[in-house]
Amino acid sequence: MSERASGPLWKPVASAAPPGGARSELPPEARARRRARARRRGLVLLLIAVVALAVVATASSAVVSGAAEPVSVSAPALRTDVPGAPGSALAVPSPRAMPTPAAHTAAWAPVRRPTVARRVPRGHRVTRVGLRTPEGTTNLLEVIGRRTDAQGRLWAHVRLAVLPNDTTAWVPRSALGGITTVRTHLYVDLDARTATLMRGDEMVLRAPVGVGRSGAATPTGRFYVRNRLTTYRSKAYGPVAFGTSARSADLTEWPAGGYIGIHGTDQPELIPGRVSHGCIRMRNADIRRLARLMPIGTPVTIG
Amino acid sequence: MTRPRLDLAAIDRDGAVREAADATSTRAALLGGALAAIGALALPSVAAAAPAPRDRSVLTYALSLEYLQDAFYTEAERLGALQGKVADAARVLGQTERAHVKAFRALLGSSAPARPRFDFHGTTEDELAFLHTAVALEDLCVGAYAGQATRIRSPEILQAAVDIHSVEARHAAWLRRLLDVRPTEGSLDEPRGRRSVIGTIAARGFVVDASDAPTTHRRASPLFTG
Repeated sequence: MSERASGPLWKPVASAAPPGGARSELPPEARARRRARARRRGLVLLLIAVVALAVVATASSAVVSGAAEPVSVSAPALRTDVPGAPGSALAVPSPRAMPTPAAHTAAWAPVRRPTVARRVPRGHRVTRVGLRTPEGTTNLLEVIGRRTDAQGRLWAHVRLAVLPNDTTAWVPRSALGGITTVRTHLYVDLDARTATLMRGDEMVLRAPVGVGRSGAATPTGRFYVRNRLTTYRSKAYGPVAFGTSARSADLTEWPAGGYIGIHGTDQPELIPGRVSHGCIRMRNADIRRLARLMPIGTPVTIG
Repeated sequence: MTRPRLDLAAIDRDGAVREAADATSTRAALLGGALAAIGALALPSVAAAAPAPRDRSVLTYALSLEYLQDAFYTEAERLGALQGKVADAARVLGQTERAHVKAFRALLGSSAPARPRFDFHGTTEDELAFLHTAVALEDLCVGAYAGQATRIRSPEILQAAVDIHSVEARHAAWLRRLLDVRPTEGSLDEPRGRRSVIGTIAARGFVVDASDAPTTHRRASPLFTG
């Protein structure tokens, strides 16, 4: 290969040679430097030849495979003038775990169609489950488990708002609507006469309460909040009233069957005390705070 | 091995989806309209750096899909009905989808649509139903992102969409491995148009229309014992 062909890539060695210089006239050190330069030049020529062959081969391959733009053999092998990718418009944060694990989560679902609750999937009937509560809100069931039967049908294990309290049963999952989960739990201590709302491991509210008097005891057990009522005439219930799945075992003749609520009062001076017909009474400021903090479906443990 | 169908039409293990569709015959139309309205939402630009209306429409549509996936995986994790590798996948994928939701909401600001209410008809509570639904949802989102690529004008938003698109595709591959199904078939994924995506979601009844939402608050007199 001539020097002209490889032209601009390296410094012409001819200019470095002594004028009319015969090899025998150079000192041994100069001859050694000249041999080294010649070796380097040979290596550079070899490298260029390899790169050129690679470019030609790539271009040929692209044309054969139908690529949109055949690579020109005269183009640089690696272009550095291509703009980089634009920055993303989104600042996606690092994935983070949920703050509350499943152990602190309760679930509820609305009843989507009337159904029969059974002792076990496809087993004996316990009760019929309707669409509405006595106050006209959607009937909700706390979902505490699930099972797929031999026919591949999914069943939900639910807590019922019936006597005896703490009754659980199975309903077809298809009879229920979408699941909602809650992270809160209300604990009512009948001896201490307090209500404590927890969110996960954190206590978010504690307040004194009035509970059932003798002959109208507040039932104990595990229940859940079914609805929230406001804007009614009776001042005895305060500004907000929550309906629960608990029922009085003493006042079964009460209108609608004696459901237990959590509500305000027009007699705050009686709280704390054993003053109610079974309901959990709170001072109005406390029930308003509770209404801001406690979502529907929150489990209620009374003991 | 019989290859399972992995699309939303095949997910109806106990007839729940079909029952829901039958029970509310107008739901699909209502939801289609609601989602289309969400997807087509284009509020006037409020800031110079805000996305152009057309891009904002795409972002809003993408956020709606991310809401769907976020809710699906989060519900599965919270209910705790899944076990082992499947539960692990639900946990990890939920974290990713929640991050996507957070990013889209931050970008859209006050014009971000509210989170809808969802009903997954028990598919978060059964391992096989979960996996089939998850693959279908991921595939749907991969196709949806691809279908919007040519509509996006901002290079930065297109870059974001491509970044997320490949993540969703890897989700689909992971879930297929859990089903013992080959993660890739064919050499091309078809993009899916907005109408097709919204119609598929609406037909499954996964988004609860406001008229079907449970009534839990009411202005009514208590009937409690007092």
